[in-house]
Amino acid sequence: MIVFIIRRLIATVFLLIIVSMVTFAIFFLLPKLGGQTTYGLATQYVGRNPTRSAVLQIEQQLGLNNPIYVQYWHYLSAIVAGEHYNAGAQSVYCPPPCFGYSFKSQQPVWPQMVSDIPVTASLALGAAVLWLAAGITIGVISALRRGTIFDRASMGAALAGVSLPIFFTGLVSLELFSYKWPIFPNVQYVAITANPLLWAKNLVLPWICLAFLYAALYARLTRAGMLETMSEDYIRTARAKGLPERTVIIKHGLRAALTPILTIFGLDLGLLLGGAIITEVTFSLHGLGLFTIEAIQNQDFPEIMGVVMLAAFFIVIANMIVDILYSVVDPRVRH
Amino acid sequence: MKRRKIMGLAAFGAAGALVLAACGGGGSSSSSTGGGGTSPSFGAAVNSVFNPSSHKGGTIIFDHSSAPDSTDAGNTYYASNLNFTRLYATPLTTYASCPGTCGEQVVPALATSLGVASDGNRTWTYHLKSGVKFEDGTPVTSADVKYAVERTFDRAVLSNGPSYFASLLAGNAASYKGPFKDKTGNLTSVTTPDPSTVVFQLKQPFGDFDFVVAFPQTAPVPPAKDTGANYQNHPISTGPYMFQSYQLNKQYTLVPNPQWNPSWDPQVKQLPSKIIVNLNVNAPDIDNRLLAGDIQVDFPGSGVQAAARARILSSPSLKAQSDDPVNGFMWFYYLNTKVPPLNNVHCRKAVEYAANKTNLQTAYGGPYGGNIASTAMPPTILGYQSFDLYHALSTPGGDIAAAKQELTLCGHPNGFTTNIAYRSDRPREVSSSTALQAALSAVGIKAGLKSSTSATYFGNFAGVPTYVHSHDLGILAGGWGPDWPGGYGWGWALFDSASIVSAGNTNIGELHDPLVDNWFTALEAASSQAQRNTFTNQIDMQVMKDAVMLPAVYSKALLYRPSGLTNVNVNSYYGMYNYGVLGTK
Repeated sequence: MIVFIIRRLIATVFLLIIVSMVTFAIFFLLPKLGGQTTYGLATQYVGRNPTRSAVLQIEQQLGLNNPIYVQYWHYLSAIVAGEHYNAGAQSVYCPPPCFGYSFKSQQPVWPQMVSDIPVTASLALGAAVLWLAAGITIGVISALRRGTIFDRASMGAALAGVSLPIFFTGLVSLELFSYKWPIFPNVQYVAITANPLLWAKNLVLPWICLAFLYAALYARLTRAGMLETMSEDYIRTARAKGLPERTVIIKHGLRAALTPILTIFGLDLGLLLGGAIITEVTFSLHGLGLFTIEAIQNQDFPEIMGVVMLAAFFIVIANMIVDILYSVVDPRVRH
Repeated sequence: MKRRKIMGLAAFGAAGALVLAACGGGGSSSSSTGGGGTSPSFGAAVNSVFNPSSHKGGTIIFDHSSAPDSTDAGNTYYASNLNFTRLYATPLTTYASCPGTCGEQVVPALATSLGVASDGNRTWTYHLKSGVKFEDGTPVTSADVKYAVERTFDRAVLSNGPSYFASLLAGNAASYKGPFKDKTGNLTSVTTPDPSTVVFQLKQPFGDFDFVVAFPQTAPVPPAKDTGANYQNHPISTGPYMFQSYQLNKQYTLVPNPQWNPSWDPQVKQLPSKIIVNLNVNAPDIDNRLLAGDIQVDFPGSGVQAAARARILSSPSLKAQSDDPVNGFMWFYYLNTKVPPLNNVHCRKAVEYAANKTNLQTAYGGPYGGNIASTAMPPTILGYQSFDLYHALSTPGGDIAAAKQELTLCGHPNGFTTNIAYRSDRPREVSSSTALQAALSAVGIKAGLKSSTSATYFGNFAGVPTYVHSHDLGILAGGWGPDWPGGYGWGWALFDSASIVSAGNTNIGELHDPLVDNWFTALEAASSQAQRNTFTNQIDMQVMKDAVMLPAVYSKALLYRPSGLTNVNVNSYYGMYNYGVLGTK
């Protein structure tokens, strides 16, 4: 197992280097090939009607006039060794992993992302608990009571959950439960360390909206998986052996049906940890998703690069954990 | 122009302007509490102060759908932020806190009076008020003002603010890199003969210099406390409020500055006991929070979103708590003078006549989004006079006969082919460009639609003359707000040939009219505002004769004032509520 983890970690590093090369090329090389000048790019980061010397100063400060490979080397070396940046009166040290210096806010990117991670993690993990619990439970019951009113109603609700976008359910929930009936007024992120109760209260609506979307998907997947598994021969054998139905369902049925769900869960959670963009924008939660949107709107390439790298890291790590969990859920994997 | 968002003035409708004419001559009202009412009515805060009060205490919450370009007063250009920084940064001059056109007047703030000009508007001297202190109790001196100006020369660190000092000051201003890089250097064109006097030496006459020093780039900065790019985390206050906390892109909080004395700057007040600014809040949610009374002010001041607008206008009670001032911003199309066949003035005039102005107005939000424009400058500019060369007001649906006549004169009686450039991420610009395309087709002008994103519009697309020429971009969408309410502050960057640059160009029409250039020079050499007004009007008229701009609308913004907010009035210069005097009950 340890060798497996080490091997995966080494592969992760190489994968992240490839991701960094591709994203760096997209943001810094392709525009040049398309005719964009570094002078033109620099004009985006200086006030209107700038003097030529002002634009040139920005061009130099952002390192845009260096060859692409030099810029990329600076980027990689900063991640490994950190970097000092000119902040005027004083030099700012950005410790590793330093993901560059924001073109817009003139601040190192990494500390900004670090301060946003707890928000996204709170949102994603809380919602994940909800959607796993609700989705799997509903899926199992629907499969066991196939064709009943519960099955039809829950699958109908699941269809609605998959179909309704969060910017709709989010705004409706805010309108109803924050403004019309102010059960959850002034929804904003409060750190769990500052006030755990308020942390949870303010995240209830985002959790429910996000979980509603994913729970629907997981309910349908669980139902389909359970229906298939429960018709397998080994389930009949288990029942014939006289095992209690509860054991048959949970130990033999659900356990086998969970394998594909675990795969998708790894991907979903990894993606969300990289930023639940629509949910964070809808509820004005300052997580990595909102950070991403701001970075894109500002054309702040170092910030975009940083969040892409972090999102890629989360997805790769989440998948690695899922691979490890496979061996727990499905003993055949160990062999 | 985009980067600055709405930089601007607020103006008022014709009726309001008539009422306010009297106010304009009323001197620099230092009080914003006169003549106000307390019963809500639509537009009540446009021409008077609504809900005047000197009540202290309470919390005012601002929500911002994005974030200011910087909280460092020396590094900002957004109108809303220029408005807000008055709460903690005191420049040499500022805008009068009084409703109506009176708010366009520049008045002393840190200085005892407006600048004393000599040497034909080349030398400007300001004397500082005595006793002014920073929030830590350190006395403010003229050296702190000079240092504040010097640090703005380091564009690598403070990149956002205006460049007027670099382009206007004499001496070594052209090569000076700022105090961060040039530790032993000195900006020779700003001198401080004594601790309360600062003198600016310009390389050319500039009669509007009092407006230039109204930018908060002249708000004093103590050198010992300057942390460069990080100064935005805690700018040292000279205003009624000071920073209590700051979280980049999330929130900052201001509390009363105990050192502040109301006599230092009568244009601002110290009323609420706390001011909170939430950043990057979902725009539709801001409107909901505003209407619910959870927050008091929408920071950007550019008006509510479409959904909230419909809700407000359909509810008499909500409408009574709103204002819809002309905000000094303008939407228009540049007509490029180098791209054939629009390099022929008659072809450009054909476009002017053929455009359906009513449809353009509809695209920009209808009558509540703006008034149909017929001039190259908005009514808020000092010296503005209304005229209607291309029948925008008399025949808003488009004068087809006149357009065809101009087409004949330009040698294309059956029309011609060109392209309309616009920003694809701006729905109103997309709609107006489509409407313009349809209107032009009625006279045989076939206009293709070419778009880019806002982020690249000036740096790589419409603002790059070589790209404009090679891609036949003859008609290009734009919007603009003035740096100050004068002809130069509005139009130099748009119409003077010296403003044409290879990237980031704002004179997108590429107008090179010696008459216009000379009048801009004469305007700044003029010794009186009356003379400057005359030149302003001449420039406006000549630009329209050159047909280098197709005006669309004088923009308006629907602003909402929650109950409980006091001293609410639209400042004509900023084009939104005056943030310097707000209070709450």
